[in-house]
Order: sequence, then structure tokens, then C-alpha cells
Amino acid sequence: MNERVISPLNRVEGDLDLKVIFEGRKVVKAYPMSRLFRGIEVILKGKYPMDSLVITPRICGICGGSHLLSAAKSLDMAYGAKVPPNAVRLRNVLTLAEMGQNDVRHTYLMFMIDSVNRKYEKLPFYRDMVLRWAPYVGTSYKQAVVWSKRYAEIYAIFGGQWPHGSAMVPGGITAEPFPNDVVKAKGIIRQITAEFLERTVLGGPLDQFLELESVEDLEQWAKDYPEGDVSKVWNYGQSMGWHRIGKGSQFLMSYGHVNVPEDYDPANSREKLVFSRGILDLNSWDRFEVDPNNVLEFVAHSFYTYDLGDRIGLNPFMGQTNPLPPNGKGKYTFTKTFRYKLKDRYVAPEVGALSMLVVAGNRLMTDLVKRFGTNVLAREVARFVRLALIHELILNNLDTYDFNGPTYIKPQERQFAMGYGLVEASRGSLGHWIVVEDGKIENYQVVTPTQINMGPEDPEGNPSHLTMALVGTEVEDLSNPIEVAHVVRSHDACMVCNVHVLDGGKEKLAMRL
Amino acid sequence: MRNLLWLQGGACGGNTLSMLNASDPDVLEFLHQHEARFLWHPSLSPECGGDLKRLLNSILEARLELHVFLFEGSVITGPNGTGQYNMFAGKPMMHWVREIAKRAKYVVAVGDCASFGGIPAADPNPTQSTGLQYHRKEAGGFLGKDFRSSSGLPVINLSGCPVHPEWLFTTLSMILEERITQGDLDDFNRPKIFYSTTTQFGCPRQPYFTFKIASKELGHREGCLYFELGCRGSYTRSPCNNILWNNQSSKTRVGTPCMGCTEFDFPTFNFFRTEKNRSGIPKRLPLGVSRGSYITLSAIARGAAPQYLVRPLIKREGNWIE
Repeated sequence: MNERVISPLNRVEGDLDLKVIFEGRKVVKAYPMSRLFRGIEVILKGKYPMDSLVITPRICGICGGSHLLSAAKSLDMAYGAKVPPNAVRLRNVLTLAEMGQNDVRHTYLMFMIDSVNRKYEKLPFYRDMVLRWAPYVGTSYKQAVVWSKRYAEIYAIFGGQWPHGSAMVPGGITAEPFPNDVVKAKGIIRQITAEFLERTVLGGPLDQFLELESVEDLEQWAKDYPEGDVSKVWNYGQSMGWHRIGKGSQFLMSYGHVNVPEDYDPANSREKLVFSRGILDLNSWDRFEVDPNNVLEFVAHSFYTYDLGDRIGLNPFMGQTNPLPPNGKGKYTFTKTFRYKLKDRYVAPEVGALSMLVVAGNRLMTDLVKRFGTNVLAREVARFVRLALIHELILNNLDTYDFNGPTYIKPQERQFAMGYGLVEASRGSLGHWIVVEDGKIENYQVVTPTQINMGPEDPEGNPSHLTMALVGTEVEDLSNPIEVAHVVRSHDACMVCNVHVLDGGKEKLAMRL
Repeated sequence: MRNLLWLQGGACGGNTLSMLNASDPDVLEFLHQHEARFLWHPSLSPECGGDLKRLLNSILEARLELHVFLFEGSVITGPNGTGQYNMFAGKPMMHWVREIAKRAKYVVAVGDCASFGGIPAADPNPTQSTGLQYHRKEAGGFLGKDFRSSSGLPVINLSGCPVHPEWLFTTLSMILEERITQGDLDDFNRPKIFYSTTTQFGCPRQPYFTFKIASKELGHREGCLYFELGCRGSYTRSPCNNILWNNQSSKTRVGTPCMGCTEFDFPTFNFFRTEKNRSGIPKRLPLGVSRGSYITLSAIARGAAPQYLVRPLIKREGNWIE
């Protein structure tokens, strides 16, 4: 057996070290290790509840808008706020714009540049991949740098700035847009559609792409529009075996995304959403509602301790963040373990773009998963499909904006209250839980998608999704375990991780990407 | 080709994403124009693991020249001074920072956390975070107040949560063109051209501030956010309303109060409300204004307020403005 630690495995947001144990060339165990603790939940305790709107977006530089929406929804619920339809539309636009930005940057800046890895040098299409996707110089890479920031401009028109605006508040949104703002935002999204999405990403018309419903349709698209990156990724990805690696959890979960403006009710865990909320069992294709009361966090293998012992799981409303120095026995990461209690079992689901689309019943992605299962290639295709949908939804929400309606209804702040905000962030399901006592934050817990995917095993020793996805992965060359990196980065991980390679406890070999 | 190195400590990556928002020039064009390259950047570089360690060690052994060391995020020294809350490439990040800073011609703190400690250093500072050369208001921070990079300059602080890409690239161009001097920096070693005026300069709500007309609730274009809604714009030094965010807007332009994120004391908490003393005067007064003159000025200004400003300008009715 041969143990390798990849430290850091970068191009993920945050800090991740990955310990992988091989038998021969096959991964038999994997331990994702988060090596950074910032103590945000500890800092929030005792503060004014509205401070969460300023502090929590700063948890993450790439999905701060999702944290802001989670925080605002938590306070909507805690304060019993009424949120006018206009505010819901603008919150939708803000988070969709952030997601568009993410999907472009993650795909091109963080994931696709691995296609120029030396493993693929001999392939006939290697030159084409380098010309398109090589960092700093590839044609599509450069386009991604130019166009991804335009999504952030849409965010800024209504949210002031991206990253780290605080325009979403309980009761709505701070902005009061004029028609020129809406005209400008629509102009930008149309321009991105014509000059980047259709030209570079899809290679063909957006309307037509949105009609694809099956693998056959996608195959046909790749024939009709072979120059689009989605076609290239689909074809080259299969040649490189990306559809055969990275199968993990057989449960897909999504908290759902894009609220229906006239039907917003933060206190209803079955709120009406364009992308529905649920958890899907891929063995039976049974679909279940998500009940936030069934969310549990464990710390048996995390650098934290619970007052009542480390074997129990706590719902975030009762959650605790008591950090330990990072050298405890049996503990190896600053990530807690997420589990969803489904009937009588604890489920470790996969979250992310693929889960979001399949749970919501997207036909193309459902067909793809039914044929191939979950895998690295499916996750990349899902991000392209989601990007296409985002463009349409941003326009819809702007088109229905009502200039005579308010964007904010001041809620009554409460001295004692509880609330949660479940949203679908770019990289998967994100939840905030707040408990207010005496007008101050008594407890604030944030459960992130990266934690759901990449947590350590639970007290029973059952692994979380990423570990399941890595185990069984066969690498062609132990000195260049690029397949492992593909699996990690296909998840849009939110950690800065590194890959060291250890042999007999002594570092000898590093991963070169 | 000049070498840049970017590392992240107690960071969210927001400054990195903000840098990617740069336009005219964008990041690729900027590097090209200035004959500079990132030796490594956590979000952009292909290398990881051992390749990165070899690269960092080449810098430490002076086999590779480092022109600018950019650091994003707080320096985490906890728990108990070990730095183990932030491990990177096999050792606490704080050890890398100390050694690399010695080798760099210039050191730049990118964002409020690297400059002053920022959010991770907020009370109760659970990770024992600090800034590179300041802890909050106090000079010193992680590297000590006497630290100078080999150019002779202290750490150049680019505060802001995040930093605006134009502030970053302008400062970097001054560095790479070898024209930055101590005289260009303010008392907190921030470039004066960006951190001299307050956020209020260029704010469209300025007339409302002048005549003491308050917006009493969020969600409106009119009225000043200072009096009731906790806006820090009159005592925070930043050019946010002159150099707009994402080429589009700013917080106060979309009705969000300024949170004071370019200052050493960010985050001050109690956001979205103005704390007042018993006589109803805001506890934090505009920069350089005394309590006495504030009271006198307010009475005169309110009395002289143009009538068209004390009622809604666009909407037919509403009592949010006062």
C-alpha cells in the first residue's frame, strides 16, 4: 500500500489537503483534510443579528451572494418578514449572476486547464485542447477571463458590488432600481449570450440548446455544432474516460433554487422553487422532500468537540463550534460531517450543479445520469447546461420586474427568534441557521456544500461523498495522479487544496498537473 | 520577466475574485503589459503539491528572485501561537509568510484581513489572526513595525473587503515601474491616491447628507443613510463612489450603507443602524467634525434644506424620508 498526501491541491476555494491510499494504481481510501479554521461562527455569537449580512458573505469570495441570501432568508424567517415580489426577482437575479460567473470561472479557470496535463499529450486532439484551454493563453480561457466578469457587473447593478455586497436584507433588498438599470442588465446578459455563450461555450443557438432532452440530443448537438466547448468536452471527455471516474454517493440532494416571486414563504420548507428541493435515491429513483430538521452534523473525525460527546449528531439549531488544536487523535479535518436523516438511515449525499439539475428533473441531465451514472464528465456537462438555463432565468426575472412595486418591506425585529435559510449555492446546497436571544445572536451555524461533499466519515465509519467518488479510481501513472484531481475539481470544491505524495510516511513524490 | 507570488492565509478568496473582475486592463493584459508573471497563485496556477514546495523553497534559497509578494487573508497564529489553524504545504502558513517576506523586493497586503486582521481578527479573534504589519490600529502585526522589504518600503496595505481591482493594479504598476515611494503612502501605508478622501466623495446621496435629510428605511434611492441606517461613508477612507465597483455601482448607490471595510477597525459590527448618544447625536461623527460644530451645523443645515429634497422625488408618496 502506498499513501499519498496531496498538499495543497489548489484551484479550489480554501485549503484542502488530500490523503489518498493506493493499492497498486487504485485508490482504496481517501481523506479530504481541510486545514483552515477561521472561526466565523464563533465571531458571530453575541453580535447583532443583522451583522450576519455583512460577515457571512465574507465566508467565501466566490459565493458570497449565496451566503448573503442564506443569511437574509434566515432573518426573513426569524423576523416573519414579508418580502415583496420585486425583491424576490432581484435576489434571483443576483444569485443567478453570481452562479453564472462561478460556472464560467470554475469550468475554464479551475477545471479545464487540467486537460493540458501530460497524461493526454499523445492524444490526437491534445493540440486542440491546449489551444483552447491552456491557462493564460488558451482561446476559451482568455474568453472566460473577459466575459466572466460581466456577470459580476449584473450583480453590481442591483447589489452595489461583487464580491461582498450586502444588498439582500430581511424584508427584501436595499436597492430601488430604475428602468435604466434593468435595461442595462438585460443588455449585458444578451451580449454575453451572443458573444460568449453561443460563440464559445455552446457553439450554437441558446434556444436550441435548451431543447436538448437526451444523450442522443446532445450527441446530435456535438455533431451539428462541433466547435462549441460543450461539444468538445463531451467528445474529448469520453475519449479521456471522464465518464468512467468519480461516481460517488447514490443520493443527490438539492435545496433548490430561484424562488417564485409571488409565492415566497421562507418559513415553508416546501417553498415553491423553479429548481425544486429534494433528495433523490439513484438506486430506486425515489425522490424525497428535504426537511431541515433532518440535517445533522457530526464531529467524530473533525477538530471540534461537542459538550455531550463526539458520537452524537447535532441539528444546526443546536449546533456547536468548539475548535480543537489540529492534532487530535482520530480527528483530521476542520470540516464537520454532514448527514441527512432519511427514515432510519444517515445519508451522505452529493451536492452541486449535477445534483441540482437532476433533482429538479432536468431531462438531459437525468437521461445522462440514467445511462452513465454520476461521474466527472456529467458534472462538467451539468455546469454548461446550468449556465445556459441561468441566462434565460435572469432575463425572465428582469422582464417581470414591476417598477411600481416596492423592493423592501421593513420587518419588525424580534428579540427571541429562530430561522434558517436554505439556498442552492454555485457548488451545492448551503444552509444558515440562526438563533436570536435578547436581540443578539445566540447561535449561528453555517453548513456549506463543500462540507456536505467533502466531510470526513461519520462515527460509524461511513464515508462522505467525495471519498466514495475517489475510492476505486484507477490512475494511469502514480507519479501523475491527474484522475484524482479531476474527481476533486469536478466538484467545484471550495477549498484551496494541495496534493503531496507520501510513501511509507516519507514524502517523496509530488503530483504534477 | 518580474515574478509575483500570491498566497492566501485566513482568507475567503474575495480579493482573488475581485482581481479577476479587473478590466482595462484585465489580469492577463496587465501581466503582459508589465512583463510580470505569477510564479504561483492559488486559484490560477496548474502546479500543486511538491512542485509548489520546490518553487517556494527556490525563493527561500534565493535561487529564484521574487519581485512582489502578495498576501491575501489574515496571518493566523492560533492556536497558542502555533499557526496550526492554517496549514499550507506541510507547515503553518505563518512560517512561509515570514520567510518569503524576507526575500521579496516588495510585500503587498491585499485586502483588509492582510492589512489589519479583518474579520478573522474580530472579537474574540478565535484564530489569533493579525495583519501583516498592523493589528487593527497598532503598527506591528505579524512582521513587526520595523519590517522593511528589500526595496526599503514597509508592507504596502491595500485595505478593503475586498480590494478594488483598479486600486490593486494601479499600485502594482507603480511598484513594477519602480516609482512608488514612502511619500505615496498614508499613515497606514496605504496609497494616498486611493485612501485620502472618504467614501462619501461622489456619493449621489451627498446633498441629503449636507442638509441632514435622512432615509429612515432601506429600499429607497433618496435620503442619506448616515443618520439612521449606520452608513460609515462619512468617516471611511475609500474611493468607492469615484472608482465604481464592477464598472457599475457602489454600496450606497444601491441603498446599502457603507460598512467601513477599508478601515483598520473593520468589522465594527452593529451594521444597518446608527448608534446614537442620549441626545440623539450619532456616536461616530463625520471625519474631522467636532461634536459642537456638528450640532450647530445640523441645525443650520436642516433649516436651510431645499423643500424638494425633504419629500420623495420620484414616488408619489412615502414617509421614509425626513
